[in-house]
Amino acid sequence: MSDIASKRRWLPPLVAALIAAVLQTAALGYMVESRASILRNGKEVLLKTVPVDPRDLLRGDYVILSYDISWLPPELFKGGFPAAPEEATVFVRLGKQPDGFWGASEASFKPLAPTDESVVVQSQPFAYYPSSSETPSSINVAYGIERFYVPEGEGRVLEQARNAEALSVNVRINDAGKAQIRQIAVEGTPVYEEPLY
Amino acid sequence: MYRGRLEKDFKHWVGMGLLPEASARQMLAEYDGRESTFRAGRVLLVLAALLLSASILLLVAANWEALPRLARLIGIVALIWGFHFVGAVFSLRGHGGLAAATLVLAAMSFGAGIALVGQMYHLSGDAADAILLWFAGACVTALAFRSVAVTTVCGGLAWAYFLTVLSENGLGEIVEWQTWIVPALAAVVVILVRVTDAGRARHLAYLLVMGWLIWLYVENSSLAFAGALAGGGIIAFLAAAMPGSPLRPMALEAGSAPAFYSFALALIGFAVLQFEAVGLFTEVAAGAAVLTVALLGIALAGAQNGAVRYLGYAAFAGELLYLAFETLGSMLGTSGFFLISGLLVAAIAWLVIRIEGRLMRTRREEVSL
Repeated sequence: MSDIASKRRWLPPLVAALIAAVLQTAALGYMVESRASILRNGKEVLLKTVPVDPRDLLRGDYVILSYDISWLPPELFKGGFPAAPEEATVFVRLGKQPDGFWGASEASFKPLAPTDESVVVQSQPFAYYPSSSETPSSINVAYGIERFYVPEGEGRVLEQARNAEALSVNVRINDAGKAQIRQIAVEGTPVYEEPLY
Repeated sequence: MYRGRLEKDFKHWVGMGLLPEASARQMLAEYDGRESTFRAGRVLLVLAALLLSASILLLVAANWEALPRLARLIGIVALIWGFHFVGAVFSLRGHGGLAAATLVLAAMSFGAGIALVGQMYHLSGDAADAILLWFAGACVTALAFRSVAVTTVCGGLAWAYFLTVLSENGLGEIVEWQTWIVPALAAVVVILVRVTDAGRARHLAYLLVMGWLIWLYVENSSLAFAGALAGGGIIAFLAAAMPGSPLRPMALEAGSAPAFYSFALALIGFAVLQFEAVGLFTEVAAGAAVLTVALLGIALAGAQNGAVRYLGYAAFAGELLYLAFETLGSMLGTSGFFLISGLLVAAIAWLVIRIEGRLMRTRREEVSL
């Protein structure tokens, strides 16, 4: 646990510090900007959350969010299912419903083209196994918007609202199908609005 | 540990008149003066750095609202820059321990930055990717400064990645490419170790590969996989320990670790084959293979490599007892089994004494030549 660097360093330490700090800052900056750009330019959809199992879901400082569109019934998959197990990504077409929330109207294992009235969101990659029974079962997918971080101790309120089905989430989705939470509301009243930075 | 043994042995040799007392004192002084020797103060410094970085990470985790989050992000970036440059200044002034501790803080601050961005944008399901990025950033710091301490942090992060991938299979199964990242990370850590001379951190990488292989076997247990483990282990061990192997000088340069871990891998492979074996004949054949491998290890690398030798003895004794239990155990009843085990252990002890005696004689001959 010691550095004998002083004898055999190959970069002047100040240069080394500069390189490491610049690269690490650039990495953080890239992470921030890739997300902020979705918030800036993405198309907005309103999603309804559904209660997950009733046990205490607050792990530390975030609330687990599950959506109507997290469970995709087999009827939605018009293009059929892969025959063999594979690493899959699911594309889901979201359309606005009469109640103002957005729901899944079509899903596919291949990319879907967005239209004026619909947005296509892409799931995170997962391992797909064809179901053994005749009728395929619903597929559970994640979109990378399943967590909402809150200040320490404030998660309880959101959890109760979520379990009472009073929680809605505004999400922005970019052209590539990446989703980003913009706002979270209880009974339609925004509680947390996410600034760009 | 080594320091204590050294001092004891010196006293013994001085008492026997083999070594003048002044030389012994000078040798000990030289050893104490080496930069790389264990110093409690340095270890405590790095521990302090780890505790401080835990506080930074926890401050992020608390999602503290008193500061706007942009300010928090700028603060973390300032910490990254500050710790790197303070580390550079310590390094320039020759304060190796302080530099190591500060650079650990810098690498950990980068992790805190990643966690903060994840929190700002409510990213989910990306814990493994986040650790991968963190690992990459820590590698840059370790490489740029050739820092032993940060290399150790990288080894720890490689393990964290493996454990996160294992524990994160909430949706379906683990995505396949993620499992292949694990040996790649281990390879990166080994390269870092060679570049920074962080001798002890290499065990983190070797153990990671072993853990990964065992996990792969548990996930896809099959005879073919077990055979591949055994065969791969034997080939790696022969490459590292067989006289005449082109890789042997490189392995010896890396210390006793390459021979030991490849030997352990071969033994694990054959033990798994034993586990897969059904029926008396295959059972005994697999057992004979384990015994042969154990003896091969002792014969090829046992003389210079104590770790291989003792692992070989342990595997040999364990396998013999297992075989005796499987083949004779049910026929003989408990007391008969203990009788046989006692005789077996006595036979092994005789064998070990013969081997150790021979090793000692060859060493003496080398000295007298």
